[in-house]
Amino acid sequence: MEVTLEISRFDPNRDTAPHFQIFKVDVEENRTVLDTLFLAWHQDPSLSFRRSCRSSICGSCAVRINGTPRLACQTLVRDATENASRIVLEPLPHFKQLKDLVVNLEPFFESLKAVIPWLIPREDYRGHMDPEVARKLEGPATCILCGICEATADGAGRIEAGAWVKTMRLASDSRDALGKHRMRLLQVPPDILRLFIKDLPDRCPKGIKIWEEVVA
Amino acid sequence: MLMHEVLVVGGGLAGLMAAYAVSGKVDTAVVSKVYPTRSHSGAAQGGFNSSLSEDDSIDNHIFDTVKGSDYLGDQDAIEVLCSDGPQVIFELDRMGVPWTRTDSGKVAQRSLGGAGFPRACFAADFSGHVVLHTLYEQILRCGVKIYPEWHVLELLVEKGRVVGAIVYDMHHARLEVIRAKQVIIATGGYGRAFQKTTNGHANTGDGIAIAYRAGAILSDMEFVQFHPTTLYGTNILVSEAARGEGGYLRNTSGDRFMSQYAPEKLELAPRDVVSRAIFKEIKEGRGFDDHYVHLDLTHLGEAQVAERLPQVRELAIRYAGVDPVGAPMPIEPAQHYSMGGIRTDIWCRATMPGLMAAGEAANVSVHGANRLGGNSLLETVVFGRRAGIKALELAQEEPWQGPSNRVIDDALGRWKDLIAGKGRKPSKDDSAFAIRQEMTSVMTNQVGVFRVGSELEDAVTRLDQLKERYGRLSPAGHAQPFDYGLMDHLEVGYLLDLGEIIARGALLRTESRGAHFRLDYPKRDDKSWLHHTFVRLTETGPVFSEGSVSITRHQPQDRGY
Repeated sequence: MEVTLEISRFDPNRDTAPHFQIFKVDVEENRTVLDTLFLAWHQDPSLSFRRSCRSSICGSCAVRINGTPRLACQTLVRDATENASRIVLEPLPHFKQLKDLVVNLEPFFESLKAVIPWLIPREDYRGHMDPEVARKLEGPATCILCGICEATADGAGRIEAGAWVKTMRLASDSRDALGKHRMRLLQVPPDILRLFIKDLPDRCPKGIKIWEEVVA
Repeated sequence: MLMHEVLVVGGGLAGLMAAYAVSGKVDTAVVSKVYPTRSHSGAAQGGFNSSLSEDDSIDNHIFDTVKGSDYLGDQDAIEVLCSDGPQVIFELDRMGVPWTRTDSGKVAQRSLGGAGFPRACFAADFSGHVVLHTLYEQILRCGVKIYPEWHVLELLVEKGRVVGAIVYDMHHARLEVIRAKQVIIATGGYGRAFQKTTNGHANTGDGIAIAYRAGAILSDMEFVQFHPTTLYGTNILVSEAARGEGGYLRNTSGDRFMSQYAPEKLELAPRDVVSRAIFKEIKEGRGFDDHYVHLDLTHLGEAQVAERLPQVRELAIRYAGVDPVGAPMPIEPAQHYSMGGIRTDIWCRATMPGLMAAGEAANVSVHGANRLGGNSLLETVVFGRRAGIKALELAQEEPWQGPSNRVIDDALGRWKDLIAGKGRKPSKDDSAFAIRQEMTSVMTNQVGVFRVGSELEDAVTRLDQLKERYGRLSPAGHAQPFDYGLMDHLEVGYLLDLGEIIARGALLRTESRGAHFRLDYPKRDDKSWLHHTFVRLTETGPVFSEGSVSITRHQPQDRGY
């Protein structure tokens, strides 16, 4: 099918503000939005967008698709063109646009450092873990640090949403010496965290489920 | 100019493990063309082999690996791989890797191909992902300097020694020089040389090509692994864990055809055997639409698929429109792994002082002619760690050397000219896109699972022509932040260099061994070919030679499964 792409273009060396460029591409509807970006790039090699795995596991291609932050490689053309054969592609909101669809990820990755984002093993850990606990870690451990939760959060503070997920993943780990004490690092009221946990499966491209007990 | 005693190129599992092992003792930095957590190690699903159980043994793991390699693996290196495995798994556990557990709380293990025992440690089917992110956490803890989205262009060489690198900062669109005592290449494989591949867009063999251009010896480049089960069309990986958990391969008659090819191991024969079987089924008219076969998980039940293979399920639903709980998945083989790479000793030292390599970019060689599932993830952490340990020792022992201003100015001058397109006309009728498309098609169609002399000769000729065309091409020259046009130009150059030596190596090797199968020479020939293929770049092009194989305890035998 023929699809019209409206892509936000911005080159800091030339532009004072972003503008849209229109591309027409021919693509099968079961391909992904990332595939359409490649077709647009072949028409104009100066177009910049991040990509790597193309299988929803690396988190590179998070962009705003028709207004909603999503992974381009996880979004089928069929779904993105449900209402019209037009796809609007913009950089992730809440992030600074550096060039076209590429945003500044530094604050997002930097803020991980504020939450001691590594396991501090308990002295009495002997290599065994309750399989139920291990199962609960799986959800938050599949976080791909794509930034989509941050892009959809309602103005999180200094510590960004990716670091919230990391904190909750480590706080749920029975091997960790800090455990639930970690939650204090976030300085976020429990009600806000509960709401975040409740909304996360729908917003997150990996559908991450966090057990609410970690907040209490 | 920046200075780091140890410079790690690549932020996947091998690179991060190396940086972790060095950090805190000497100044270490990681340069990666993507953010480390975007590395393709994260796409690995199946697991990390390690003999942890009392019923298993390191000797069993060694034997399975040697046999899997079709006796081309270096047995001294394989002994290190298998012996260090349990210790490294234990370390990863202490770092926080969320392994899947048995009912008694131990690290669970599953069966993967070519193994005599369920010995792959895993986390559902996100095994690479969780270890990558855990190592990234540890890198943050150790304060290793990371340069994300920096592209290494060239190794600086002074009197035969690697003394640093020229790098390109994608964000600020500028060149930088990094001086180092040891450079560790951990940039992964070259899957994108092929049209059909499970690899991500970033897997263009950059580090291997750069080391080759600097004068390092590469080894066994003709051995390319084709994964039997990738989603038909997109070639997205369906982990071997799907068969490890009990999945069946079926042809149009519904037969589990592997019984014809590997009566004992069936679906869990090594990948080279299974990929050839699938192509043979298709060729003989027992494939669906003449293009694919089925991977059937429907008998496993929803609970097992949801618990052990959640990612496989999601990928199949999204990209193939099939829920494997209810219907078989359409699958075809595709390029997956590069057995060849930068030749190293068992301490990861390449053939040039100052240069080291680990992981898929290296050829140490633990995989020989065919890699077993679960051994590459193990290799990344075992040899990444060893590279770090050795680099630390060397960096502490050795004084700073070079590079001289002449070496730096010469290299910077050349790259500035290239990026600006100086001396070349922008070509209207040709592009890196066009060359890439033709190259990948030649590689998949003529240097694939089944090879034959005449096709390989033709491939070599065509790749030569593509190289010539590439030589006349200039990058688009936008000189802008995040110039992926420039990156594409560079990557196509690396892939053409590697494609040429893969095809030439495959043409030279007149036997069939592991993943290298010659229709015109269908037998393994130990008398003439039980040696590595070394290749080195000279002024007149690639020069091939023989390298001896380390055989310590297992003499070559017949390789039936």
